[in-house]
Amino acid sequence: MISMEKIAPKIGLYIYDPAETIAGSIDLQAVLEKCAKIRQVEICETVSEPASETFLDSVKDAVTSAQIDRVIWAGRFTSHQRKLLESSLTEAGLNQYLCEWCDLELQGIGKSSGSAKEQQNKAMTLIKMAVARVKLLMPLTPQEIPSSDTAVVVGGGISGLHAAASLLERGKEVHLVERQSGVGGKVALLSRFYPLQCDPHCGLEYVLKTLRKSDRLTVHALSRPLAVEGTAGNFSVTVLSQPRYVDAERCNGCGHCTEVCPVDQPVILDAVQDEKPFRQTNGIGVMIKETRKAVHQAIPYAFPETYVVDRHACPPDCRKCEKACPTQAIDLDQQPVEKAITAGAVVAATGWDPYPLSKLSDYLGYGNIAYVIGNLEMEQLLRRITRGVTDLTTPPVNSLNNVGFVQCAGSRNTQHLSYCSSVCCSATLKQIQQLKSLRLEAKCVVFYQDIRCNGFEEDLYRQVKELDGVLFVRGFPKVKTSEAENCVSVIAEDTFSGRKVEIDLDLLVLAGGMQPSEAGSEFADVTGLPLNPHGFFTGHYQCYPEESQRTGIFTGGCARGPMNVSQSIESASRGAIKALDFLEGSITIKPTFPVVDKTKCDECKRCVEECPYACYYFDAKGFPEPDLTKCRQCGNCMGVCPVGAISINHLTVKQLAAQIEMLETSFLDEDSPIVLAFLCENDAYIAATSAIDSGLNFPINVIYLQVPCAGAVNNAMVADALSLGVDGVFIGGCQDGQCHYIKGNVQVRKRSGDLRDKLTSMMIEPERVRSESIEIQDTERLVQVLNEYINDLKELGPNPFKI
Amino acid sequence: MAPKVDFTKCDGCKAQDEPLCEQVCPGNLMTLGENSKAYCRETSDCWDCMSCTKVCPVGAIETRMPYQLGYHGAKLIPLMGTNTITWTCIDINGNVERFRFKTRID
Amino acid sequence: MATQLPESLENINTETIETDLLIIGGGNAGCFSAVEAKKIDPDVKVTIMEKAHISRSGACSAGMDAINTYIPEGKTPEDLVRWCRSQVGGGPLREDLTLSNAQELNEAVDDLEEWGLPVIRDEDGNMQYRGGWDISIHGEQLKPIMAEKAMEAGAEVYNRIVATALLMEGNQCFGAMGFGLRDGKFYVFKAKATIVATGGACGLYKSYTSDSTDSHHQTWMCPFNVGTGYAMGIREGAEFTSMEQRWVATRSKDFCGPIDTISVGFKSSITNAKGERILEERYADLGGDKAPRYIRANAPMEEWLAGRGPTYADTTHLSNKEAKELKIDYLNERPSFVLFLASRGQDITQEPIEIYGSDPYIVGGHTGSGYWVDMERMTTVPGLFAAGETAGGNPNKFVGGCAAEGKLAARGAIKYMESLSLAEVDPAQIEKEKERVFAPLLKEKNFDGVSARMMEERMQRLMDEYAGGTTQFYRTNEERLDYALRHLKMLKDQIEFLYAKDLHDLMLVHEVVDRLDVAEVVCHHLKFRKETRWQGWQTRTDFPETDPEFNCFVESRLNKESGEIETFTRPYEQLVPGE
Repeated sequence: MISMEKIAPKIGLYIYDPAETIAGSIDLQAVLEKCAKIRQVEICETVSEPASETFLDSVKDAVTSAQIDRVIWAGRFTSHQRKLLESSLTEAGLNQYLCEWCDLELQGIGKSSGSAKEQQNKAMTLIKMAVARVKLLMPLTPQEIPSSDTAVVVGGGISGLHAAASLLERGKEVHLVERQSGVGGKVALLSRFYPLQCDPHCGLEYVLKTLRKSDRLTVHALSRPLAVEGTAGNFSVTVLSQPRYVDAERCNGCGHCTEVCPVDQPVILDAVQDEKPFRQTNGIGVMIKETRKAVHQAIPYAFPETYVVDRHACPPDCRKCEKACPTQAIDLDQQPVEKAITAGAVVAATGWDPYPLSKLSDYLGYGNIAYVIGNLEMEQLLRRITRGVTDLTTPPVNSLNNVGFVQCAGSRNTQHLSYCSSVCCSATLKQIQQLKSLRLEAKCVVFYQDIRCNGFEEDLYRQVKELDGVLFVRGFPKVKTSEAENCVSVIAEDTFSGRKVEIDLDLLVLAGGMQPSEAGSEFADVTGLPLNPHGFFTGHYQCYPEESQRTGIFTGGCARGPMNVSQSIESASRGAIKALDFLEGSITIKPTFPVVDKTKCDECKRCVEECPYACYYFDAKGFPEPDLTKCRQCGNCMGVCPVGAISINHLTVKQLAAQIEMLETSFLDEDSPIVLAFLCENDAYIAATSAIDSGLNFPINVIYLQVPCAGAVNNAMVADALSLGVDGVFIGGCQDGQCHYIKGNVQVRKRSGDLRDKLTSMMIEPERVRSESIEIQDTERLVQVLNEYINDLKELGPNPFKI
Repeated sequence: MAPKVDFTKCDGCKAQDEPLCEQVCPGNLMTLGENSKAYCRETSDCWDCMSCTKVCPVGAIETRMPYQLGYHGAKLIPLMGTNTITWTCIDINGNVERFRFKTRID
Repeated sequence: MATQLPESLENINTETIETDLLIIGGGNAGCFSAVEAKKIDPDVKVTIMEKAHISRSGACSAGMDAINTYIPEGKTPEDLVRWCRSQVGGGPLREDLTLSNAQELNEAVDDLEEWGLPVIRDEDGNMQYRGGWDISIHGEQLKPIMAEKAMEAGAEVYNRIVATALLMEGNQCFGAMGFGLRDGKFYVFKAKATIVATGGACGLYKSYTSDSTDSHHQTWMCPFNVGTGYAMGIREGAEFTSMEQRWVATRSKDFCGPIDTISVGFKSSITNAKGERILEERYADLGGDKAPRYIRANAPMEEWLAGRGPTYADTTHLSNKEAKELKIDYLNERPSFVLFLASRGQDITQEPIEIYGSDPYIVGGHTGSGYWVDMERMTTVPGLFAAGETAGGNPNKFVGGCAAEGKLAARGAIKYMESLSLAEVDPAQIEKEKERVFAPLLKEKNFDGVSARMMEERMQRLMDEYAGGTTQFYRTNEERLDYALRHLKMLKDQIEFLYAKDLHDLMLVHEVVDRLDVAEVVCHHLKFRKETRWQGWQTRTDFPETDPEFNCFVESRLNKESGEIETFTRPYEQLVPGE
């Protein structure tokens, strides 16, 4: 008595051969007759008009009348035909995963070497493989994972603001997390941006329009993310907010508090380009100093509009602002707040920090020599001059007669920042343009290595070159204290002319570079995201730059690397668009994901180690479980599991074993070797199909199976094939460094190496297992490699397992 | 019946909690040594079920016959397939015999 | 990995697990019990306490090449009972148990096939019979398949827990206690009903090849099954049956691997040095080649004793194809036998397989020795059920029968626990057991004592020489048995000198302690049955003939007050008519 009812599958096998390619090479009728005899093949027929109503109806009937419950389409169908067939089957109620496409031509029938008899046998084998697989198929439905429609944007600079705006415009809820009391980031500190000399406040106001009118935005200022837990669609972001000491509901921005505040605190501006603020009034140079009240508007830009109290600056027991506030908005007893936000996606726009120029002090004099400042400080200076601020700390504009600029200050230098900071050349030119507009008589010298003004920025370069009194010297200057008063001495040699330039300057501006921000490093720590060798967030540079290694967390702007404002805006928008996938209320997961059979699993953790996306976590009993929102369905876990406990749905180890079992009888003549090839879908498989379609005499000896990644090939599958008598197993994966799943090709190579050692001890030639890197366009090369391999196998003789 | 571990291949299953051979041994005989590689703590207690030899993912383990019972140099090597197992037997005279059979039916 | 060894009893944590059904031993019977219990009631909590790792633990580790009882078409369960009866020379036999088991038998095997176990069938889909009742399978994955099904059914498996004692409340069993072999914790499993399915007892006797540096465990039976299940019951006064019915069988010489059913299946007669077919020649009246197993076991030994050895299973008539099939059988059960043959360069079509008897084991799935159980498979300790090799009265169960018994015991246990709640167990019992369990590990540094291995070797030598081991051609007599009992007592008195240097060692210590309890009971049974009913299994040189007075079961139980084992009889009832 059988305790469980097993329902035998009923297969419909349809063969379509419009160009008679197959029929021209083999006795198709004989093949059909044989196939009809296979157990569980209920229908076996040729199709002449797959798109015709009559045919589609007949197939639908066959399904609805339960004559068949799964289908094999053998042959070449156009994509139009495929769509029609698929939708017909769906209409008839057949799950789309109970349907198999078996293109015989794509395996070389009618298009490769080999006699008619061999082609015939191979065709039969291929169909038997399809039948064996189809018998084990299961209906599958995509998994819906509910997701939040809230996004968290980390960073309120120009990138973060644009990401937030894009998301708000699409009706999503956004939590903007900013570490300062106001938004704006580094852009709010600039005087102008290039190429149009725009006022950054204009740019900020433009994007803030969207934010201001939205009721779905929450700004968490003075905040930082402490933890990002959970997975795409369902993150829990813990945000710690320091107190503003002002009640946002009550503050109307009237400013009475500021008027009564007794404090006039000298504040070192964020523009100071150093790790340790060192500026003192001791004649070192130009002071960019400001005083500020303890209670003030948000910094660097007054959004949110609520005021903020810097309690560290308050005198003890002083509560003047509290008393003065007409709306009782001041709340000096506010406490830090920790909040957990549920979010579907996170966009990190954590920006950049200026490279600390004191690191260049020994040869560029920053901090030691007077009148040497950084480019951000120059922005401050220009801004104050433009606003007409005159005070002891701001040099009057008419004192700026000779101003020098040093490019690549700390960039493109392996001792400092090894990369190019991208914006500094155009930034310097913009500063020169602005300075000249404020003081035409100013003479400017640019000490440069290469002027890198890409694209239309070249216009800016030309404009500046055409100005009077701008000199470009190609050479790195030596900086020293001047003997004259109120200037700095610079010597340089122009490498083109060989001329020496010795000049006293009123101001020397170091065009310092952009380094990864502290906020960014903190975020990387919190999220566990890897950074590139330069310390910036990285996705796949070409194909998906906005992604991070944690699905659902995106990056944008200078958090990814040095870029200018318009590039930052575009980059942030890309992050926001991709985030939308996880903010739609549910995430649809294709059902072809891995499943761990916990009754077999030994918890050896190899899947955890080899998953290129670290998507495995441990369930309550310590068994590995894939996070489906992170999983890229590459199959590396299936490839490494030593006990065969992991299978990808629709490409299970049992389905593969059943297909391989059909190779038991050779489809070729006695001394011709049979090769089973596993080809990765991104490279090797496409090379193979192209080779066959191009008529490149693909060897008849090879039957190939498509796998998502070469890393999905398990040693047990190779063992299955070899022990059956298959003469050789070929594994085709991507080139090193190009694997679309990061390291699958490397992993399978190591594993098959272990198998080869075992084969040697078993007195089976290890060369029977071959791994090869095949690129997508390696069509000729693949054919060549396979032919060589087959010759090698011929020399080795038949597989010793063939007894 | 001594399971012999090839230390050049054994990686102790990354020396995380238990290597696979330790997990599976019915006699609790396989364990991780000081060198973070697996070894049999009492070879004379082995019953030669060969579970360790079968499960080792890198093929580092070999089961041997005690000399009291059989002479040196014969080999019996299991190769695990998906639903099959293949055995290769090499006797002391170098004769090779191969066996393959299904171990699971779907 | 080395666990920090505890310094004192206080450092040892106790882990308490509450469950409905506790199954001690995740083997053949144990896994089937789990699946059946969950089938009857998906909500019942089932916990398996397993000494090794369930995927490959116990006797089925390497696999199985055949299922030795499956009722073929045309035969009935009653026929099987009759055959079992003949295998024990006409009785005694618990025909009630045997019949009810036979009725479940085929379904259990069908389950296995359903679960993916390859049963060998011919082209027409018929099973291949190797003997009257044995079907061929390729069972290399037998254990993993059963383990997976038990887990799939929802049983919670605790691997690497060494069971040491039953948890009692009054005279009722409410679970078991043991220690963690990896974590060094003390475990208390509280259950409403308990099924003990720990397999049989190996290593009571010395195996004749275990005197070398490299082969201490060259036994047919799994050496890691030491009779702990029996010992736990013995200590609580459970009744045992037929413990004198030791399982001794024809085995390949030196390697001590299976050969019996294989030789039957491949029609390889037992021959001696002269080439005589022994069974036909000397045991024709007992069935010749079809003689009962104990005859087959003893026959080669008699030949050796008479100077007509060596003895063989004559495989020289096999074709190369048959020889290969025979090896495939071995590869599915004791693969290293193929390595053994290869290590001798032996071609079995040229040179027959040498055979000899094995050391005696106590296995209730082969002979009738084990717990005395009722039809629900409950032992005389209420709440404690037994199944598989651990349960007695029903010989010749083998894989199929142990599986069937597992199901029967689960049914019995589930019924028993209806409207039963977990008892409040006396904590003093737990503390006492914890102390007993860990005492050998907590001895002071440089403790001058006895290692587990030393005591085991002494016990095995004692049993071999005095209680009818292989070197004695299974023979014993009253005086030797008394001697054995006297020295077993001395060994038990010396338990306090046992020390363990790590947790693995601690397990070995308890294995010896458990074996001593079982050995003692075996000796009592051998002493009580003053006849020779099954030569080889139980040979009394002082009572060489069968005595109809003993056409009954020999029973025993520990008197907990006196501390003595009491032996008595129970009548044999023939239920199934016929021979």
